[in-house]
Amino acid sequence: MVNLTIDGKEIQVSKTATIYQAAKEAGIYIPVLCYAKKLLPYGACRVCLVEVEQMKGRLIPSCTTPVTQGMIVNTMSAEIRKVRKTVLEFLLVNHVVECPVCDKGGECDLQDLTYEYEVVTNRFEGEKFDLPKDEVNPLLERNMNRCVLCGKCVRVCDEVVGFGSYSFINRGFETKIATAYDRGLDCEFCGQCVSMCPVGAILPRPFKFKARPWQLKEVNSVCGYCGNGCTVTFGTKDNEVQTIRFNDNTGVNDGNLCVRGRFGYSYVNSKERLTVPLIRVEGELVETTWDTALAKVTEGFRTAGSQLGIISGARLANEELYLLKSLAGAVGTGNLDHSGGECYKGLTEGLQPTLGLQASTATFPQVEKADAILVIRNDFYETHPVFGMVINQAVKRNDAQLSVITDKKGKLTRMPHARALLHKPGLEVNLLNALCRSLLDEGLAKIEGLQGLNEFQESLEAYAVEAVATATGVAADAIRQTARELAEAGNAAIILGYGLPYTAQSRELGIAAANLALLTGIAGRQGSGLYLCGEKSNSQGAIDLQILPATGAMGVGAMLQAAAANKLQALYIAGEDPLASYPDRALTEKALNKSPFVVVQDLFLTETAKQADVVLPAASFAEKTGTFTNAERRIQRLLPGIKSPGQAKSDFAIFQALLAGFGASAPANENEAFAALAAVTPGYEMVNLAMIGAQGYVWGGETLVPETRNLVPVAGNKELKARFQLLVGSCLYHSGTTSLHASGPMSVVSEPYIEFGREDAAELKITDEQQVKIKAAGGEITAKAKVDRRLPKGVLFAPYHFSSLGLNRIYQGQAAIAVEVSK
Amino acid sequence: MFREFAKGLSITLKHLLPGHSTTVQYPKERLPLAPRFRGLHRLVPTQTREKCVACYLCPTVCPAKCITVESGENAQGEKYPKVYKIDLLRCIFCGYCVEACPVEALEMSDQYELANFKREDFNFEKERLLR
Repeated sequence: MVNLTIDGKEIQVSKTATIYQAAKEAGIYIPVLCYAKKLLPYGACRVCLVEVEQMKGRLIPSCTTPVTQGMIVNTMSAEIRKVRKTVLEFLLVNHVVECPVCDKGGECDLQDLTYEYEVVTNRFEGEKFDLPKDEVNPLLERNMNRCVLCGKCVRVCDEVVGFGSYSFINRGFETKIATAYDRGLDCEFCGQCVSMCPVGAILPRPFKFKARPWQLKEVNSVCGYCGNGCTVTFGTKDNEVQTIRFNDNTGVNDGNLCVRGRFGYSYVNSKERLTVPLIRVEGELVETTWDTALAKVTEGFRTAGSQLGIISGARLANEELYLLKSLAGAVGTGNLDHSGGECYKGLTEGLQPTLGLQASTATFPQVEKADAILVIRNDFYETHPVFGMVINQAVKRNDAQLSVITDKKGKLTRMPHARALLHKPGLEVNLLNALCRSLLDEGLAKIEGLQGLNEFQESLEAYAVEAVATATGVAADAIRQTARELAEAGNAAIILGYGLPYTAQSRELGIAAANLALLTGIAGRQGSGLYLCGEKSNSQGAIDLQILPATGAMGVGAMLQAAAANKLQALYIAGEDPLASYPDRALTEKALNKSPFVVVQDLFLTETAKQADVVLPAASFAEKTGTFTNAERRIQRLLPGIKSPGQAKSDFAIFQALLAGFGASAPANENEAFAALAAVTPGYEMVNLAMIGAQGYVWGGETLVPETRNLVPVAGNKELKARFQLLVGSCLYHSGTTSLHASGPMSVVSEPYIEFGREDAAELKITDEQQVKIKAAGGEITAKAKVDRRLPKGVLFAPYHFSSLGLNRIYQGQAAIAVEVSK
Repeated sequence: MFREFAKGLSITLKHLLPGHSTTVQYPKERLPLAPRFRGLHRLVPTQTREKCVACYLCPTVCPAKCITVESGENAQGEKYPKVYKIDLLRCIFCGYCVEACPVEALEMSDQYELANFKREDFNFEKERLLR
């Protein structure tokens, strides 16, 4: 700690702080343009100049100057004011003053400072920038005439996103921010640059000319897409979410968002939303009243009784899931499941037998301080981009060693000195076993207190490092080195995502990752963690609330099988589109056709909803009150920004009405429901809503200590022998099928594609955008080709979001699909 | 006391003599208006479009909340008021909107005969204000 005086105020701060940070902590205001909390100090704008007694004779930039013992700082004097005003005058020499048409007007830092320092005239004259306005891309509008060259966009794109789209080019007056070769932007479109820009040089195009900042009502809530649980701040006006506002004061995401979070909100305003309940009359879905629809549903469920199957999505709030579970109890069925019933098994059947837990053991911010990180599947960045940015920062800022067990290259493998353990498809478990084996062979494993070691060691016989290296195509040294780093690191993290397109070996992967976490001592150690992250916003909540089949009852797979075999009376599908997103479409189709009574509760008339007997219009995440539990166990509150369209009701209200129909009591509101669920949910016992503050509340604490420490033998996979193997996965711009209704993500990736590696494309003479046919056991699909350099030879990739592709006709949940390619 | 009465009444009576009346025979006669009179609003046109750039300052400053603006993007990519509406029944003619306008797109004319028969007729849309 260091003692210093700022404006006569005695302050004690950590010795790594800068003057600006010290002042901020003490509540003393210093103006800044180029400073941002999450970026490294830069000192570009010179607005934050202050006087330091010990450094008399010149003014000191407070944002880059570290504090020293006994420093006496003065943040305001006539001279400082004059100099700051001059700095602003210099900036305004070339800055085009078009505040009336600039969307930043009203929240522009330069505008605010100009006002504060009363810069009404300019002593200097000079040329105004007259650069062409970018931009051809649909999401970010760049107008470099307004740029003040603070470099925040350059820095955030490099330091946080790790993409590096921008750089300064040219010199002197002509200096500007540009992309490589000054072309149009072709990036992740996460819009971090938008959120950082202090002026109107980079703006979100979907919000262009929509409203003024002061007209927007701000509501803090949680993003409804992935399990990362980023807090978002809606800017609402006219009962529409107009934009997502920058807010780095809540949640764990530091104001960072991905393309889905920042630009994917628009589906809530969609005109295609369901607004009235629909009921099937003579084969047609017709509009009806809530009373009729609910009466029909209640009657149908009562007839079905224990023959009712309930399939839930993982984007319902905890309170809603709690009511859904009560409803299942009231109806008398144990057939309750979520998210396809398979992909989350890494938690329920993987971590449970090994660690005795069903959740990640640590929190996201801890990863930033990790020394070694192992990511299983490069797709993690696609499913959880903002957690991916934390990994970026760990690597870039703290020099963490990143290793990626993956079947394709991508964002994470491109990180500085990242080690890609690029294996043949489907062999992740083999590699994890080899890592364990390597630890045991080299005596690096922390075996103290571990159960089942002997048996485990025996099971590893077949996973000698060399043998696995040959089988998977990964260098043996890379495996050994990764194992060593994980074992020797002070803080380490093992990260794995799960989701609907990753059903293959989900249980095995969970066990293998847990075994490795035990042997490296990562599980339960302060600062280290094993992360198993769900694909959807409340995946963890669904596990916590046990939206799982009761003992002896059916899970999703069994339910669909039973329905297809005419053994299920009714299906209730809430917040899920199984037809579009579940593996094995033929089975789902058959189940929906054969099931006598199907109720679908959703935002849109999805493909599944089109098959339903009753369709109930539900509310989106932006319209409800409740809580989500993210992949690090953080419980965060959802607040409604807008009202639901038409007669659509929140899932909570629908479940309440159904419960009433069954004569069961339901909590009166979401707050009471939370109290009720907290009382019965392990880990939530001590939690109440008052404890869920701006940063949420992590149940179980920052580090969750394993209940058990069992090593469980787990078998790897066999290599698929096929010339071409198709991988199914998630793409960065979409999450589930909901984002297909959002204009932002759709403007970047609007149609399905099959990705080819360059080698294969050259061999098959396939070019970008060309139509290709993919033939597999289940059928044939056609789509445009996309040629990239991510994929190794023989491997193809297709995103699972687009049901128009019919990918789940050939995808039955396998790790890789043997396919034939033709044009 | 009588003298004071006579003095006062003489002033009153003087005003009754022809040529001393201040009444103006409206509408045949009209008084000249003050140069800064605040009458009906007028949106200033340019050669091709309205001068207004839909910056939303006038609806923001309006104390009576009678101005509705909706901005849009025209074919040239410029910001323009898709909707510009003043509800004259609510307007208090304070002139803040004119004062706030950064591009001098709004002014107040000397038109003050604004009576009408229907409520709707007091809704001045963009086209009417551009005249």
